[in-house]
Amino acid sequence: MAIDTGLLTNIGFYVSIAIVFSVLALGFNLQWGYTGLFNAGIAGFFLVGAYVTAIAITPLSQPLIIGGVTVVPGHLGGYSLPFVVGALLAMVASGLTAALIAIPALRLRADYLAIATIAFAEILRIFAINLESTTGGTIGLPLIPPLIQYVPADPFLSAVTFVAIGGAILLALLLVLQFMVESPWGRVLRAIRDDEEATMALGKNAYRYKLQAFALGGAIMGLAGALFAVALLYIEPSGSFAPAVTFSVWVMVIVGGAGNNRGAILGAFLIYGMEWGSVQLKDLAPAQLRDTIFYIRIMIIGVLLILLILFRPEGVLRERKRALR
Amino acid sequence: MAGTSTSESAEETRAWQSRWAALRLGPRVRRQLLRAIVVAAIFLAFCALLGALFGVGILSYTLAGLRVGSIVIVAAIGLSLIYGIRGFANFAYGDLMTLGAYVALLVNLFGGINLVAGFVVAFVTLGAFGIVLELLIFRRLEGRGPVAPLVASVGVGLIIQNGIRATASTQQWNYDVTAIGEIPIVPGLGFHWIRDFATLAIGLSFMVSLHVLLKYTNLGKAMRATADNLELAKATGIDTKRVRYAAWAVSCSFASTAGILLGLIAVVKPTMGFEVLLLIFAAVIVGGIGSPYGAMLGGLVVGLSQEMSVPLLLWLGRPEVIGLEHATAYKVAVPFFIMIGVLLLRPWGIAGRQPAFAPRTFFVERLARVLRGKRTSAERAEGDGRGG
Amino acid sequence: MHADSILRVQDVQKAFGGIQAVDRCTLAVFPKSITGLIGPNGAGKSTLFNIVAGLYRPDGGEIWFNGARIDGLPPYEIVRLGLTKTWQIPHELRNLTVLENVVLAAKENSGEQLLNLFVRPRRVQRDEKQWRARAREILALTQLDGLANEHAKGLSGGQKKLLELARALMSDPAIVLLDEPVAGVNLTLAANLMDLIERLRQGGRTFFLIEHDMNVVMNRCDRVIVMHQGRKIAEGTPSAVKADPVVIESYLGG
Repeated sequence: MAIDTGLLTNIGFYVSIAIVFSVLALGFNLQWGYTGLFNAGIAGFFLVGAYVTAIAITPLSQPLIIGGVTVVPGHLGGYSLPFVVGALLAMVASGLTAALIAIPALRLRADYLAIATIAFAEILRIFAINLESTTGGTIGLPLIPPLIQYVPADPFLSAVTFVAIGGAILLALLLVLQFMVESPWGRVLRAIRDDEEATMALGKNAYRYKLQAFALGGAIMGLAGALFAVALLYIEPSGSFAPAVTFSVWVMVIVGGAGNNRGAILGAFLIYGMEWGSVQLKDLAPAQLRDTIFYIRIMIIGVLLILLILFRPEGVLRERKRALR
Repeated sequence: MAGTSTSESAEETRAWQSRWAALRLGPRVRRQLLRAIVVAAIFLAFCALLGALFGVGILSYTLAGLRVGSIVIVAAIGLSLIYGIRGFANFAYGDLMTLGAYVALLVNLFGGINLVAGFVVAFVTLGAFGIVLELLIFRRLEGRGPVAPLVASVGVGLIIQNGIRATASTQQWNYDVTAIGEIPIVPGLGFHWIRDFATLAIGLSFMVSLHVLLKYTNLGKAMRATADNLELAKATGIDTKRVRYAAWAVSCSFASTAGILLGLIAVVKPTMGFEVLLLIFAAVIVGGIGSPYGAMLGGLVVGLSQEMSVPLLLWLGRPEVIGLEHATAYKVAVPFFIMIGVLLLRPWGIAGRQPAFAPRTFFVERLARVLRGKRTSAERAEGDGRGG
Repeated sequence: MHADSILRVQDVQKAFGGIQAVDRCTLAVFPKSITGLIGPNGAGKSTLFNIVAGLYRPDGGEIWFNGARIDGLPPYEIVRLGLTKTWQIPHELRNLTVLENVVLAAKENSGEQLLNLFVRPRRVQRDEKQWRARAREILALTQLDGLANEHAKGLSGGQKKLLELARALMSDPAIVLLDEPVAGVNLTLAANLMDLIERLRQGGRTFFLIEHDMNVVMNRCDRVIVMHQGRKIAEGTPSAVKADPVVIESYLGG
């Protein structure tokens, strides 16, 4: 994942990916922070969004066969649709995927739901790796067109462009989500989180609300995938959509405080900041230690998870008290 | 013995008889054993049929399935012990298997000792490690529901896996075992000493020893009671703390053995355990959460379904059928689909108990009613007008 | 006799893991009454309430409410038809405020439909305002209005019981099933609560309540039904039931 020419571009990259993770965190916050649905398959919905967008907006790519060996398998594509369309398609696809797994899984207890969703995400990843002619297999989809193609190519301007547009999308998403969770609809979600049975006894069809929250959360994760595709300009299945991504998002939302949207964004910037920072350190470190830093960074995520769960499960920031006038 | 009176020898005989009676199989156990024999006979007949239809080569998949199934069984037993007695899904379990495999690797490759010693050292080390985990972390998460320890276990798994990566690098290792070659039992069906015989034998012996532990030892009975009803167990004076530590120790020890077996039939690498974690969860869920016997059944289902789907996938991969690329790579998805199906239709698994106070599942009820073509009660009531 | 009942339970059965919690229970509640349901512990009273409210599905039998058959319906449909239930152990929504708890119980709040938030924003605002006002009225009735903006988790046990009642009243039900409404509540508050129930009854509502406090049962209920081991063993006026030898034996022997 190397781009940097210049420190500012590097920081621009950090902000770009932090924005992507913020969107992921907002989606998970809707599902778990507000409704109490513990989704362990975040990476799967992220993956669907990224691939759908990439396939939609990338020009045709032919397979590259050298001496009878398929070097680059090529992929489905060639539609060259604008990003807006690609992003919308991504949201619909991810939302439908989320609804698909939610319909059977939502009636399950929280830990069964986690197992079902993580299995589902792995199934999606297996398909992404092996449906080569559609997804490009392990090579993935390179050469995704950025939001604005600068000629001559200018990484710094591209980064700034993404931060501006992505940031605007993030802000809009935050406003819409705040509106939704503060509404009567959002109140039902919070009630379900607190006590689903009591909420049903008060006359609410809890299943329908859970399905809506889960599907919308999935759609938001799809949007994150779309942004990821045009931030990185290249997607591949093994690293970017591994379960470790799901676990990172967990930490981000728990740190920021479950049920706190601004906290989720803060958590995303913090935790990804730590990951990005460790990559920078890695380049400064002597050669033998480089990979070790990478692994230590993930170990720190593990330690954070344990410490947070043990001592501060409600998060660093807390949910606001709501005074109704 | 010379010189004993008849009354003493009669007493000895009675003591012998009562000990034998305790071991003797009661009617219920006899019935279960009979059922198991019948199922095994059906299975063997099915294999014979397959062999007759498609050639003996297809049975190599069955053998592979039994092999994978044995490893999954050993692992699933350990996982279901924690699920039953500590009440949560241990997401670090795969990485505990990896840890066991690496401990054995240390003993075997760098200590230059026979792998059998590696088994033993790993067994003991991981058992102790499990106790440490309960002591440091999971003891404090008592009463916080199933999600909190799950998340903590994810953290533990991340630490173990990346700790191994940091210290031992990501390269792949193989154990130092003098591999005796293939033994042709049936022409076309290679039976490999280490790969097949060792795995199946160890799997079977672990199943039996667990059964003995649970049924005939005091600790085992205490474990069953605690898994059944924690409060009741405490009230009847069972030392549930000791049971908990014992459960962790047995669980992690089983994980270590499963990990080494996995390393034997494949390779030893940092992600080896995590890659099969979901498979083991599938076995536990299909078999029934908290039931080690269900885990055994689930392990068998998972192993067989995964491996025996390969010929079907190969067929799907043929260009004239679907032309599915990399068809055999989808075999790992088969147990996942089965697991999701089980969660959909019968979440408590084959051997689990339906929870008494299960919340109503209106979606399934409505679906069932629609499928049976009946109107809902409300529609019926409104249509019938005032009732008497 | 049953033709004019508002709630009729007919031959209802429910088993849990081998225990027959409700065993062919048949009883009726009449409109505008305060009917008591008593019986020794484990008689199946709370279980019956949960079945009537739709939280459990009966294994057999029928339940009729206002002439419509409601067994098998999910709880949210039963609430919509006009039957609500309180919990024996309060199930307050911890992280919501007291006012939010009550507003949530409103039957038709357009803002709870996601689509309405975006296509009918004015109606959403109107409904919400209307329901908040109504919730405040009910909170005043139950003397909780001072705590409207407190998180429900901070309430005392007695206040949580009041909240249960307030929520049950919010959807304007024809009948309220009260599971031990005054257990653990101080005497003054309990008396006020029962006065309120009496006033509401005179306004046309029906109350069916489980109680162990015999003062409440004797002084406040028009009719008493006695359950034991999952079925009805006696019914009648409080004084008649009190003197019934079958009832006395069930309490002593059960």
